[in-house]
Amino acid sequence: MKVALFVTCLADHYFAEAAADTVRLLRHLGCEVTFPDAQTCCGQPAYNAGMSREAARMAHHTMDVFADCEAVVLPSGSCATMVKRFYPRLAASNPAVQAAALADRTFELGEFIVRRLGVTRLGDGLAGRRVALHQGCHALRELRLETEPAALLEGAGAEVVPWAASDECCGFGGLFSVKMTDVSAAMADRKLDTLPRVDCVVSGDGGCILHLDGRSRIRGCGVKFVHLATALWRAVDEGVGDGMAERDHGGRHGRGNG
Amino acid sequence: MSARIGDYATRSREAIRNHPEVRTAVTGATVAFDEKRRRAYGEVDADLWRRWAEAVKNHLLTHLGDYLVEAEARLEANGAHVHWARGADEAREIVLELASRHSVRSVVKGKSMLTEEVELNPALERAGIEVYETDLGEYILQLLDEPPSHIVGPAIHKTLEQVQRLFADRLETDPGGDPDELARAARGVLRDAFINADMGITGGNFLVAETGTVALIENEGNIRLTTSLPRVHVALVGIEKLLPRMSDLAGFLQLTSRAATGQSIGCFVSLVQGPAAAPGDDGPEEVHVILVDNGRTDVLVHEHAWEALRCVRCGACLNTCPVYRQTGGHAYGWVYSGPIGSVLDPGLLGLHEAMPLPFASSLCGACFDACPVRIPIPELLLAWREEAQQQGLTPWKERAALAGLANVATRPPLYRLAGRVGTRLGAARAARKLPMLGDWSNDRSLPSPSPRTFRQLWREGIK
Amino acid sequence: MSGSATRDRRESFGDDGGARARILARVTRATTLRDRLRHPGRLESPAPPDPAATFVKRFTSQGGEVATPDPDRSPRDWLTSFLEGLGDDVTTIAIGADVPTRLQPRSPDVPPADAGTAREESPGQLHYLIAPAVSRNSVEPMRHVAPAAQAAVGVSLAWGAVAETGSLILPSTGTRAVQLLPPVHIVWVPADRVFARLEDALIELQPRLPAGVGLHSGPSKSADIGQTVVTGVHGPGRSIAVLEG
Repeated sequence: MKVALFVTCLADHYFAEAAADTVRLLRHLGCEVTFPDAQTCCGQPAYNAGMSREAARMAHHTMDVFADCEAVVLPSGSCATMVKRFYPRLAASNPAVQAAALADRTFELGEFIVRRLGVTRLGDGLAGRRVALHQGCHALRELRLETEPAALLEGAGAEVVPWAASDECCGFGGLFSVKMTDVSAAMADRKLDTLPRVDCVVSGDGGCILHLDGRSRIRGCGVKFVHLATALWRAVDEGVGDGMAERDHGGRHGRGNG
Repeated sequence: MSARIGDYATRSREAIRNHPEVRTAVTGATVAFDEKRRRAYGEVDADLWRRWAEAVKNHLLTHLGDYLVEAEARLEANGAHVHWARGADEAREIVLELASRHSVRSVVKGKSMLTEEVELNPALERAGIEVYETDLGEYILQLLDEPPSHIVGPAIHKTLEQVQRLFADRLETDPGGDPDELARAARGVLRDAFINADMGITGGNFLVAETGTVALIENEGNIRLTTSLPRVHVALVGIEKLLPRMSDLAGFLQLTSRAATGQSIGCFVSLVQGPAAAPGDDGPEEVHVILVDNGRTDVLVHEHAWEALRCVRCGACLNTCPVYRQTGGHAYGWVYSGPIGSVLDPGLLGLHEAMPLPFASSLCGACFDACPVRIPIPELLLAWREEAQQQGLTPWKERAALAGLANVATRPPLYRLAGRVGTRLGAARAARKLPMLGDWSNDRSLPSPSPRTFRQLWREGIK
Repeated sequence: MSGSATRDRRESFGDDGGARARILARVTRATTLRDRLRHPGRLESPAPPDPAATFVKRFTSQGGEVATPDPDRSPRDWLTSFLEGLGDDVTTIAIGADVPTRLQPRSPDVPPADAGTAREESPGQLHYLIAPAVSRNSVEPMRHVAPAAQAAVGVSLAWGAVAETGSLILPSTGTRAVQLLPPVHIVWVPADRVFARLEDALIELQPRLPAGVGLHSGPSKSADIGQTVVTGVHGPGRSIAVLEG
């Protein structure tokens, strides 16, 4: 199958290795991966801020870019939701936007593997790993990916440790974390404070990881965060590197108020 | 309760930083409520019930005029008196006039958000009438002169220690008294109030048009007493609280209880048809029902927000909301807080007055899953945000930045250039100096970009 | 940004007609803006199989108690010994006005003629009071309340019960103060009127609705102090159902 990768802004710039792992994983599963170079932002920042005209412009652009693709895969539940669930809503007020067709062909990575390809066993590369799963809000409540990510991790041998706040919002919410910064940080704290002892936290959304990781670092929690794409590629390719390496920013994290 | 919504960000910051006990108490209580709600939904076909309830309320709201007239006729046939109040002042005046007509000196009240909304208690007190809030949580708050923090559990932000201190001070209980002792002390005071009150005032969870039945759900028995012992019962009911039929009530009583507290039904339900008129019937001599608009018809005409009028005030959206859990209700600045407050308040008060509540949400969607009448709260928040942007009620820099994003994102070469410049050339460090991102980076370690973008990796070939 | 939360409009009391007409006009205008949506009909929820057994299970799980009368004794004899078994401090019993004699306890030293007034208590001896149903318009408006407020136990007759919610249906043709004020509430339930579903019960009751109906589904409860559940806050702390007949 021919699959177009919609990399998303955050993955392009902050999770480049996870995006590369997405490509590796899809190729491993027999897909031919393309990367339409004209892709930009899905428009969610504007949509969530209530600027639907601007969001519709970006949606229109994205739909042009991916018009001829058989399937579109995103390493982000949130941006996938924008295309699958919110483009059709924007289309309601903007007839030029032919959103439904693209929505049907667009998938979050885990969703694509389980629902479209019908695969839950990727390998044994996560055997013995204790992981916690942060369920991104859009993937969970808009795409209803209630079981898929955990099934993939468990299928690769990981123990997905129960986490009371697994399905609670981390407090990122894009603009929300900027406008309501204290509440947003307190929400991240609730996630971190309830986290069981695990090797790492896995999430399919870069935004949530940036937020949780940023909060964890400033509080000195020492929690490792791994993008779902990287975790799943490790499941296949168990020999790679040190296994569940953290996000590839190395030690170059600065304190915000430094 | 006058609205003080504008400084939500400041109040939420103060609550989180200066009152960690509020966050602990509210999170503990709401997580417990939410778990009970989930369990109770799991015992029935919750999806079917919620869709049914949504449809009943949609039918009601699109036939509201007919049902209001029917409810009025039924109530009058039952011997009750019906009054109509457009605003808070009219509602207060009607109650004061009734109190004066009956020489009322003492009032017992059941918990009612609508009476908070129309600021009834201060008006009664100004008229020299003694007012007793009889719900235990409301009574605690009345002693503290605080507004409720939650629709169902008004005092969930208070710890046992705080109530111990309060009751030791005001009711002379043992400073280490357990909840049983404290409740007994309150019961003693309020028992006398019930027996001596001239008037009982309540809200109404539902008003069944077909039978003229005001239905009230509770757990303590204080509403049963308020509607039973005093000579006069006055119920203030929002016009959206109607239900078409008695058979609808059966479903709504159960669904609301499951959503609110995870019970199959509240410990006590009062069904009030009217005064005790027939021989052998026991109850108040007079029953008055005040149908209150106070902004509801403004919400009803709104293209999107009208769906919020399905609300049954169960508090399930508050309990499941990760934003509400950090602060409790006071930070929101008005009677209705949490997710439902953020979509209802702009309709009831006007959007300008309710800013920035539509933005006080991460849009996580948990509220919709919990809502027994399937109010699409995230969609309504977005609708209000859109209006706020159109009316220029948001910071211009924010609008300019997002318009700029749209301009860049529809021009791929420009987008690629901006991405490289933005993340490669130290924008992260520059961001700290921007007013908006400054706060963000005080609370979080700023991320560093990947050494090479994905586009670079793709061009070089991914192995 | 702050301001009044209310929409004050200068209309005097007695202008209900104006308020009514204007509210209805606004409502009508609003309802012309969108399609009128249909009522979905009745909620299809499964009826629990054995109503009586389900009622007992639900009611007790909600903190209520169920007592079973001795089939070999008359209801009033059984109730009398049940009340005696509640303890020495239980001396004053308030009985709802609609409780028939055969469901009232025996109390040899208090003839029914004395009903309605509390007698001086003599420890260890059972007294009982029949609370008059309608007394509001009498000279002593509190006459019906005072006895019930003193009583240790209230005895009422339910119109029926509901299995799916574990509820007793208490009509105002009984005595509300008896249903609510004593710390222990004993309720006779006609065994042939335990409805499977709440809807069935309400529809059956609908043609004969009294002024007020209380659904009691367990004892009075509150968790308002420190999230700890306490019972008997305002209403009865013990709610005992007795299936009869």
